[in-house]
Amino acid sequence: MNDALLSLVTPLVAALIVLTGPAMTPRRASVVVLLGSAFSLAAALLALQTVTASGATQTLNLGGWEDGLAIRLRLSPLSALLLAFTALIHLLAGLYARFSRFASGDDFWVLSAFLHTALAALWLSADLFNLYITLELIGLAAVAMVALSGPKAYQAAADYLLLSLAASMIYLLGVVFLYSEYHTLDVMQLASVSADSARTRLALALITAGLMLKGALWPLHLWLPAAHAGAPAAVSALLSAVVVKGPLFILWLVWTEVAPADLAREVGPMVATAGMIALVAGGWAAMRSPYIKVLVAYSTVAQLGYALMALGLLMSWQIPQMHIALWLFVIAHGLAKASLFMAAGEMQGTLGTRRLTGLRGATQTVPIAMFAFAVAGGSLIGLPPSGGFLAKWVLLEPILSQPQNWPWAFGILLGTLVSAAYIFRVVVLAFDRATINPPDTRPHLMGHWLALLPALIVWGMALLGEQLIGLLAGGGV
Amino acid sequence: MILLQMMRWTSLLPVLIILSSLIPALLIFATPENAARRRTILNLGGIVIKLCLVLLMLLGVSQGLRFRFEVDFLPGASLVLQGDALSLQFVTLSSILWLATTIYAIGYLQKSQLKSRFFGYFSLCVSATVGIALSGNLITFLLFFELLTLATFPLVVHRGTDAALKAGRLYLVYTLSGGTLLLMGVALLHSITGTSDFVPGGYVSGAVEENRFALMAAFALMIVGLGVKAALFPLHGWLPRAMVAPAPVSALLHAVAVVKAGAFGIIRVVYDVFGVETGIALGLTPVLMLAAAFTILYGSIQALRQTDIKRRLAFSTVSQVSYITLGVAMAGPTAAIGAVVHLVHQGLMKITLFFCAGNMAETLGIHRIQEMDGLGKRMPLTMSAFTVGALGMIGVPPIAGFFSKWYLGLGALESGNDAMLAVLIGSSILNAMYFMPLIYRGWFAQPPTAGWPEDNFKKSRFETHWMMLLPPLFTALLSLLAGIFAGSLASPLGWTEFIISQEFAL
Repeated sequence: MNDALLSLVTPLVAALIVLTGPAMTPRRASVVVLLGSAFSLAAALLALQTVTASGATQTLNLGGWEDGLAIRLRLSPLSALLLAFTALIHLLAGLYARFSRFASGDDFWVLSAFLHTALAALWLSADLFNLYITLELIGLAAVAMVALSGPKAYQAAADYLLLSLAASMIYLLGVVFLYSEYHTLDVMQLASVSADSARTRLALALITAGLMLKGALWPLHLWLPAAHAGAPAAVSALLSAVVVKGPLFILWLVWTEVAPADLAREVGPMVATAGMIALVAGGWAAMRSPYIKVLVAYSTVAQLGYALMALGLLMSWQIPQMHIALWLFVIAHGLAKASLFMAAGEMQGTLGTRRLTGLRGATQTVPIAMFAFAVAGGSLIGLPPSGGFLAKWVLLEPILSQPQNWPWAFGILLGTLVSAAYIFRVVVLAFDRATINPPDTRPHLMGHWLALLPALIVWGMALLGEQLIGLLAGGGV
Repeated sequence: MILLQMMRWTSLLPVLIILSSLIPALLIFATPENAARRRTILNLGGIVIKLCLVLLMLLGVSQGLRFRFEVDFLPGASLVLQGDALSLQFVTLSSILWLATTIYAIGYLQKSQLKSRFFGYFSLCVSATVGIALSGNLITFLLFFELLTLATFPLVVHRGTDAALKAGRLYLVYTLSGGTLLLMGVALLHSITGTSDFVPGGYVSGAVEENRFALMAAFALMIVGLGVKAALFPLHGWLPRAMVAPAPVSALLHAVAVVKAGAFGIIRVVYDVFGVETGIALGLTPVLMLAAAFTILYGSIQALRQTDIKRRLAFSTVSQVSYITLGVAMAGPTAAIGAVVHLVHQGLMKITLFFCAGNMAETLGIHRIQEMDGLGKRMPLTMSAFTVGALGMIGVPPIAGFFSKWYLGLGALESGNDAMLAVLIGSSILNAMYFMPLIYRGWFAQPPTAGWPEDNFKKSRFETHWMMLLPPLFTALLSLLAGIFAGSLASPLGWTEFIISQEFAL
């Protein structure tokens, strides 16, 4: 638990140093925050190792208060994994922001460190009110980061802020209902007392709606493309890779622990269906988009559909494979999407256009960034042996083992084809040699290679496949 | 476990065979455009090393050694590379034809740009093909099958024109959909029986009673997925369109890499996953047989209707590759020999034809069949190689193609599929009808009085660039030798008999 707390506190310390330190140039700030991320990653890996070695979930009551009064933190193998994942993405995005030629804004460093802290707190929280606070912190940091793009992103940032606040209010209202019914907000206590009642149902409906809005889960995703596409590349990477996963985590927590099992079983198919629609509708929108980053942003909507599908099937069948599939998707998508956004940022910066048609001949003009895009896209499609394939395989197995479940497999089939369609739509353009769009500036190779890095890591997940599955196989928490 | 395997050369060898083209591929990507010599050294060095390693493995397998490499991947399904007699058949074919095609491509692309990218993907494509051949289970096969799609796509669109991009899109639509279906089939089968290594006779027979329907669905998904690459009707649409690619790519696509990967996959699925007995018990092989028979006739008739040389050859591939599927689906040992040996024979003959077509186009600008009049006088060697390939396709002894057809025909009678004999004869007649006019025009018609559409390589000592002339002569010679020495173990036929004796436990 101490390692996990260290992983949580380090980015906070980094942020405070950046804020209060004397003569803090952006360059120095970047070094401090990068060191903080690296240190946080190391601590998270240590925590992961201890928690998997002991095999048990550890809890800590802050301030030594007893259960019910205290704010309780909880470290499970999953939360340790997510801590490490968050630190890794922050490290990768930070490295990119530091070395890429396309600026992310001077305030990127302090905001990203705050965001990192809030996310780490979210993974460790086991109390619905505490989770609300982390959600708010994440939302504020994220909105500020979208605005780093300058005045042209203010509209998107303002919309994002309003929606985010509204979503938090809806969530909070649901939490209040739960409290009035059960007089506790501790997840583990709620799990033991919750029962199916009208008020519980209403509370869960509100919580779910709020979280789906915040997590851009279909059909409440409409704000996402503008916000994610408008931000600087490093910020888009963070938003798509980790920020939208926070609400998903709470949703998972609520429906697998707080909600009565029978109710979860009843609602599960609806969630899974929403996921299937997200896959196809998001993919379709990505396929039609004329802008590079909007395409990538819609692909997030689509890919979250896989996670939603895994969550829905987990709720309705209550089998551990779906739990594994859900979190494998989250991790694989995070890494791949970070790479896609960075590559998209590099390409549109170098080629001087936000339009897809500007990518004609990109295999010659910006070969490495284009390669990164294709490699990361391969994981989104689920080509073996990438992380995306691993997740899809785990999701498919229980679906295929019963013929009555095959319709869900059809959804995955469609999802795969649509993903392939929007990724290769870009790749084919890049092979055009007849009408090449000349770059505005010489490509700055460091940024291109750093964009490739997360994509290589997601393909490297294959080597850790069995370990990751074993780690997540511990079941819920 | 991996470290332990590193110590044993029998585990290491399959990996090294793949790396011998994969590492050159990566190095070639990093080679500057104008460093032609470095690129050639990397290419040829990789090929020589690969050929030596393959020879070593051939000797080992014929002595009864087992080559197997394994790493953990999915629960219950590791990545397995293994060298058995069947995989070696395909590995040897790919390696030898890689040599011929690389030399040809160096000559062919001399004046064009983006050579490092081209040869990089070219080597990657061979690595994927060899990986397919050496795959020890379905998961590994799937992995390399998808890699092959990705590695060939840049080659298909290499010219980067609108037509090339269009063909490339179509190619992706077909192959990625096929790959997804194959994935579904593999995953479905895994959920029923788990994934074990390929074994002669298959490993699903225990599950037939309970999961009849699911097994049939898995078989259908896999065959459709593989059938896209094997150009089974109606999944063949991408193949004629992919002809916009440069000639060495077409040669590789048609003879070794893509269509053969599909056909080889069908062989593996029928023999080593389902097993012939289970295939018959589930009533699957007759359906496959009908599909193959129809494709054979359909491809031949379409070929007859084409006026463009390369398109005629493309439809001929559609037809000829289905001979392999047909032989597999007839589910008897003799037909199986015909099928597996045709994998090699068709490769040798078809690559010869494509090399020759490329020579005609590059040297004299000949693309259409009518333009071939009198070609034998200007390019006698090319025309001779072309004649050997075409006669072999028709099935004239002693060229290799005759032996494929002979065994397929015998197999049809032996397995009681007399109608298939009629299909084979009908197809041979059609083959003759669409190849004989080309041979006749080349040798006996008068050259055009207005001269050739183009006339390049006039200063060359030979009728065309020597690097483009040598490969077709080499492969034509191989298709002759494969037929003449069909009786020895060192010939494709002899080795195939060795494979089939294991598959059918004769």
